[in-house]
Amino acid sequence: MDLSDSVLDHLRHMAALPDVSGTRYELEREIGRGGMGVVYAARDRDLDRRVALKVMEAELAGEARLIARLEHPSIVPIHETGRLPDGRVFYAMKLVVGVRLDHYLARSPSLAERLRVIRRAGEALAYAHTTGVIHRDLKPQNVMVGEFGEVYVMDWGVEAVAGTPGFRAPETPLDRRSDIYALGALLEFVLPADGPPALRAVAAKARRPDPADRYPDVGALLADIERFQEGLAVEAWAEPWRHRLVRFAARNAVLLWLLAAYAGVKLVLFFLRNL
Amino acid sequence: MNKILAGSICGLVLGAMDGATAWFYPETHSMMGAIMVGSSVKGMVVGILCGWFARKVQSTGWGIVMGAGLGLVFAFLVAAMDTVNGRHPYLEIMMPGFAVGAITGFLTQRVGTSGSPVRPAH
Amino acid sequence: MDPDTAIGGPHGHLPSTQVSLLEAAAAGMPHDALERLIALYWKPVYRFIRFRFRKDNEDAKDLTQSFFTSALEREFFARFDPAKASFRTYLRMAVERFAANQHAAAGRQKRGGDVQFEPLDEHSAAAESPDAIFEREWRRQLFVLAIEDLRAHCAASGKEQQFRIFEAYDLAGAPRPSYAALAAEHGIPETSVTNHLAWARRMLRGFVAERLRGVTSGERELREEMRRVWT
Repeated sequence: MDLSDSVLDHLRHMAALPDVSGTRYELEREIGRGGMGVVYAARDRDLDRRVALKVMEAELAGEARLIARLEHPSIVPIHETGRLPDGRVFYAMKLVVGVRLDHYLARSPSLAERLRVIRRAGEALAYAHTTGVIHRDLKPQNVMVGEFGEVYVMDWGVEAVAGTPGFRAPETPLDRRSDIYALGALLEFVLPADGPPALRAVAAKARRPDPADRYPDVGALLADIERFQEGLAVEAWAEPWRHRLVRFAARNAVLLWLLAAYAGVKLVLFFLRNL
Repeated sequence: MNKILAGSICGLVLGAMDGATAWFYPETHSMMGAIMVGSSVKGMVVGILCGWFARKVQSTGWGIVMGAGLGLVFAFLVAAMDTVNGRHPYLEIMMPGFAVGAITGFLTQRVGTSGSPVRPAH
Repeated sequence: MDPDTAIGGPHGHLPSTQVSLLEAAAAGMPHDALERLIALYWKPVYRFIRFRFRKDNEDAKDLTQSFFTSALEREFFARFDPAKASFRTYLRMAVERFAANQHAAAGRQKRGGDVQFEPLDEHSAAAESPDAIFEREWRRQLFVLAIEDLRAHCAASGKEQQFRIFEAYDLAGAPRPSYAALAAEHGIPETSVTNHLAWARRMLRGFVAERLRGVTSGERELREEMRRVWT
């Protein structure tokens, strides 16, 4: 007996589909494939809503229980978990409707919007770190921006097989500071070509090869970004005095204009007097 | 410190400095003392009123307008009471007074505590 | 609950009867383990030699046979390092080396005349790499064996109808019959067709895993190869 290529492909496709007949879900279509497993869009028959079903081999499900306990506006909530007849494990979670960060950038968002995404992602990281969970594979493909501006960080706790170059920290094993590295790389990624040097310096500080040279925690990185947005000096960047002057002037523009008006008035009157 | 106190200090200091610029007009040298005192008092009054206003309305823009207006009014009063070389120095006192008042108004919006719930207007 | 539900699955609820390649090698490569390995690898190696070295049917068969009899001795399995590559890749490279040596030997035998070397096609006209070709044929044979296992299991457990439905739908070329047509043909409700197919596919997955288990070094390589098979 022999199998033609088409039959072979069909078999591979059909037997790969998870058998969810014993669950309350109906598979709709495959929406993604990651290092951990496959994600399908599905319908929850009981609650009549669409969900995302992530199916993976049982061995990889270990850390998933920790992750299921995370509750944060930027972390996808998990509704249910179970075991399929073929031994695989599935997670039912909120189906995020949105775009990946790399596609989001194609819409040319403003710098403020880009920084907002970074901050939301950072907040999720900071929260996860307090519960002991490390992301390990933060990259643009794992950040989704929803239709109402929600930001979700996905695919937690899987150490990527190859790691994505540029986002994976050099040290092993990966820990919180590797997440900081990745967040810095994410910041670098969203900055436009003519991005402010202060933010580039923040990204660079987060991505120093030696983990001890980076920000001590995600909060410190986010605080620096916040300082930038308020027109304050950024910890990561030793700014040249010219730039410091410009920043000072920008922050105190109104006062400086009023003083200039006063000085101008006095000068004009003084010279008029002499005419 | 509360805004009224802050306003009075700002107004006093700015008024004194503005008064000191009269030194550039030699004909007023004999009255420098009176000018300094008058300018300081004027500034302080404007500052107190601006501080009071800032407690009621939190708006940088309106603070400036209020300060400028008050500065103009009080400068007019001072100029009306003064005579230099036979004429009232309306221009020389009111124009800077307008500007100083504006600065005072701005500062009272930014400095000090209003002691009332924040109702941002702008 | 159907005891067949997870038979043979690598993460199954019933223990697998298969040992991994490393375990078999450590036990001196028992006969049945070697047989199962050859059952999977014979055809892919044969097809690989035919394509890669442009041999005709007889030459390729001879080469394949001599590879499996001579090259596959104990040392071969001992030298395999799972950290470097999959067993499949290791074996393919051994085939290439073996064929090259045969060439060289044949060339030496023909000394004194016009030495005709069959050029090893380094830059094949085909778009696929040798590794991809070998993997595809290997995957084909893997499924063939798994389907045979499924057929045998169905015959032994009285589930001939399930297999017939599976054969009629999943093994058919395009266009496939509809579920309704199959249901009518076999005199069963349509939901049974769905259930039978789901069952057969599940079982097939398990049999594939079982076949893979005997030719992979351990759980890690097994998982990796499973992932590759189903992607």
